[in-house]
Amino acid sequence: MLDVDCISVCYGQIRALRRVSLKVPRGSVVSLVGANGAGKSTLMMTIAGALRPTEGRIAFDGRPLPAGPHRVVAAGISLVPERRRLYANLTVRENLLMGAHLRRDREGIHADIDRLCGLFPILKERFSQYAGTLSGGEQQMVAIARGLMSRPALLLMDEPSLGLAPLITRQVFSIIADLRRQGTTILLAEQNAHQSLEISDYAYVLESGEVVLEGSGQVLLNDVRMQESYLGIRKKNGRPVR
Amino acid sequence: MEGLVLKLPLAFQTLVTGLAIGGIYALMAVGYSLIFSILNFSNFAYGMVIMLASFLGYFAMSGLGLGLGPALLCAMLGAALLSFLNERVAYSSLRRRRAPPLYFMISAMGTSIFLENMVYATIGSRYNAYPELFAVPTLNIFGASIGKMDLFAMVFSVLAISALTFFIHHTRLGIAIRGASYDASMAELNGVSLDWLIGTVFALAGLFAGLSGVFLGIKYMAYPNMGWITNKAYIAAVIGGLGSLPGAVAGGFLLGVLETFVSVYLSSTLRDVFSFSLLILFLVLMPSGLFGKTLEEKV
Ligand SMILES: Nc1ncnc2c1ncn2[C@@H]1O[C@H](COP(=O)(O)OP(=O)(O)OP(=O)(O)O)[C@@H](O)[C@H]1O
Ligand SMILES: [Mg+2]
Repeated sequence: MLDVDCISVCYGQIRALRRVSLKVPRGSVVSLVGANGAGKSTLMMTIAGALRPTEGRIAFDGRPLPAGPHRVVAAGISLVPERRRLYANLTVRENLLMGAHLRRDREGIHADIDRLCGLFPILKERFSQYAGTLSGGEQQMVAIARGLMSRPALLLMDEPSLGLAPLITRQVFSIIADLRRQGTTILLAEQNAHQSLEISDYAYVLESGEVVLEGSGQVLLNDVRMQESYLGIRKKNGRPVR
Repeated sequence: MEGLVLKLPLAFQTLVTGLAIGGIYALMAVGYSLIFSILNFSNFAYGMVIMLASFLGYFAMSGLGLGLGPALLCAMLGAALLSFLNERVAYSSLRRRRAPPLYFMISAMGTSIFLENMVYATIGSRYNAYPELFAVPTLNIFGASIGKMDLFAMVFSVLAISALTFFIHHTRLGIAIRGASYDASMAELNGVSLDWLIGTVFALAGLFAGLSGVFLGIKYMAYPNMGWITNKAYIAAVIGGLGSLPGAVAGGFLLGVLETFVSVYLSSTLRDVFSFSLLILFLVLMPSGLFGKTLEEKV
């Protein structure tokens, strides 16, 4: 469905991505693991159309990715950005409507808002409150819901668990699992490697802007290099120690 | 006691006169703030759009013999187009290059100087009076006399600002404008075409420039050097808080009333000294104005 082919992305002189390739098949959850500054957000923003690769191609549904983020949304890709980036000056309801900006089907929009309020009860409680006044966890729920309001075929989620308490993090991951069961294709960037690998079909490991490792979630969970660098498991005498 | 009774009507008259001019300031400040809220810079060319609108209204009424309603419509549409072109010509390429606000400001000043001199060169520096609209131009309410036109302008200003407030809170496009004023690149990620949205905001601000241009022209005539009065829009917007619509309205009325009190009770020559001192005072002591967003929130 999404085919990223050998792209490089630069910020001025700094090259943040080097010849990165990845594929996200329809209906799957693919995760992107890497330390701070590895280039996860850069890749997400590039797929969302906000950054332009200096080389390589991105294809979505067999067609080249359109230029400009607003056209990418229209093509069916939606980003839940790092640090949520809610419109603090808008209410929760208006934030959701922003997510549905390109849709014209009033009834469908309201039906989706109702459905999402079922999925995230906090939305209904805070419906008319300014998004800037919500707690971090509540904001994350709103950000995910806003991302879903465009009914994307592919949902990009950039560190949805960032800054959340473990309990809320678990909730977020169970929502991702739910979304997947409902057929949404997801590309997930996470530092929380353990939990994201567990719900992923496939994963890529980024290091300094390059893909250094890839494989199915289960294979990576058992990979020695993965365990040492990202899963906080060190091997002593051949046996894993936490 | 006797003195107080005698003076009260003057104070009331001053208040009424102040509100009348304040309504026009509010109109201008609203358009100004709308642009500031989305591009974060002071569009000094906006005053020139108001001046041109004032000429448009003048020509529509004196030249074509149109009534006030059609003339307002002409001026509003014309100013909307001019404001839109102002953005496309002077700012859109800066925007694409992500130039800092200073560049926008310089481009705005260049545009202002160009437009003002173009009017001097083509139409001339004369003062052009609008035709008289009412046989008896004033009305008496509770002992204060108010121009019928002032009253009409005030009512119309309030209506226009209410309509804008409704639009900005209850329509898809209005919500997008507010969202983009907070985080434009996020709005783009939500499917908003910024080019389109910013064009709309400038056209919308142009409608307000058109209204206020005609009202100003009727009150003070149309002439190329109207900048001294359109600058009041900037002062009103700073008092209310740049980028805030309720702030622009409050700032406009407040400035109109205070200014009129100064010119009645102190001296009319002090009026503009007072207004610009107020501007400096606010910029130094209270840069976010009465209703403004704090600077942290803007980032
Ligand atoms: N706007 C920018 N200008 C210049 N360099 C940038 C910019 N944004 C990111 N970078 C650099 O690009 C590299 C990749 O950053 P990126 O934000 O993609 O990393 P990340 O994997 O998302 O990290 P994190 O886990 O901390 O979010 C970093 O070295 C960063 O310093
Ligand atoms: Mg990141």
